[in-house]
Amino acid sequence: MRVVTVPTSLDDRTLDTLAQGIGEWPPSEGILLDARSAHWASPYGLTAMLTLGQAMAEAKLPTPRLTIPDSDDVRSYWGRAGFFLAAAECFELVGKLPRKNSDAPSDVLLPVTPVRAAEDVHHVVGRIQERAQHILSSELNLEPKATLGFAMALSEACQNIVEHAGTGGWVAVQTYNWRKRLGRKVVVIAVSDSGVGFRRSLEPTEAKKVGDRWGDGAALELALLHNVSRFRDPGRGQGLAGIRRYLGRWQGKISVRSGTARLAVVPPWDDDVPLAEHLPYFPGSQVQITIPAQEAVTR
Amino acid sequence: MMQRIDLAPLLRETVATPYSDMVTRSTGAALRDRIEQTIAGASHRTTQLDFTSVGLLDFSCADEVVAKLLLRVAAEDEHYVVLSGITDSHLDAIDHVLERHGLSVAALTEGEAAPRVLGVVTPDAVTAFQTIQRLGAGDANRLADALTWTVERAADALQSLALRRLIQAAGGTYRPLSLS
Repeated sequence: MRVVTVPTSLDDRTLDTLAQGIGEWPPSEGILLDARSAHWASPYGLTAMLTLGQAMAEAKLPTPRLTIPDSDDVRSYWGRAGFFLAAAECFELVGKLPRKNSDAPSDVLLPVTPVRAAEDVHHVVGRIQERAQHILSSELNLEPKATLGFAMALSEACQNIVEHAGTGGWVAVQTYNWRKRLGRKVVVIAVSDSGVGFRRSLEPTEAKKVGDRWGDGAALELALLHNVSRFRDPGRGQGLAGIRRYLGRWQGKISVRSGTARLAVVPPWDDDVPLAEHLPYFPGSQVQITIPAQEAVTR
Repeated sequence: MMQRIDLAPLLRETVATPYSDMVTRSTGAALRDRIEQTIAGASHRTTQLDFTSVGLLDFSCADEVVAKLLLRVAAEDEHYVVLSGITDSHLDAIDHVLERHGLSVAALTEGEAAPRVLGVVTPDAVTAFQTIQRLGAGDANRLADALTWTVERAADALQSLALRRLIQAAGGTYRPLSLS
């Protein structure tokens, strides 16, 4: 069994380290995700771990094992964020699970939630509006228009799973105080699925047109920057276009990882690279949408 | 005569969720099917889609319910669609999908007595549309007088509005769409 250490801090940047640890896909042996030393995981990190477990189950590989963090605080937090409930479906959990507690932490606007069908998207959008509107306006100073756009962006990001992945996925939403990185609060949407990925989704219609450059990066560029969809219907591809339009207005960021590439639409406050290719392979697609508090922008 | 379709109850009948949000493409496609059936079963020339009590509207659902419906209706003779009960929760998505398809539609937004045009439209067409709402039926001469435009400019704007089914045209005269 291959032991893959979960980075102490697992997010969109350190997922590559986790992917590196997995090695070739599909793995030739069982996997044990060792999260004992984990101190923190973003919604992106939590949903990506679930995607790994789901991808292994769908590939009919041995059920991966996941050792639970040693830290009481971390496992309590992950538990309240809904992670272990979801993880029990696709991992053999090893270690002491936290006591069941139905209250999600106050910064968790949407705990880890499965998305498998259109009804799930209705549920996610309904829940986020019930729970998040006050927090988004009072703590992140988002205008009513921005909070509406937030729910729309969430809906479209989740629909990508239903429409394109060919399997289920997970979504989670959380606020943070990014004091060091940004100097203000942000709200983050993370959506991850173990589906076919952008390259395979667009390959039948786009690969020949692109030619030698065809790959995960080119597929992401077509989908995210040029609104290309595998459907011929001219109305398709509007979800990601709508998200980009919304993020442009509120200085938000979107980052999409699929296969071996990650593409980001980078706002002025961030130093991420727009396109990273030749990354270690990770199954499915992972989307992260980040919207900063508006207070600092207007000052 | 105008046919009014109340979308909130239609949504509840179509999707079995407790929420009032019009989200997802499949929901939009199912709603559009119901709307098209309702339109086909009546003889009205104008259909008002009423968004009152509809919560959020996302891009994919707006594409199905508004843009695709307008495209289907455009293929029929003399059928008009207007929107009502539009709030900030709906505007962004509707504008976005209309722009994407190069479409426009007359809409009554919350708190406004007169309809406005959403989507793709020239400044002259907007001015002409607003003026016709105030003046009522007339011809290019009447509009040109009201706006101190040339008759040709007024006629161009009116023709553009008529082609987009934002006003009704008959024998060189024009009138606003009936909203009651």
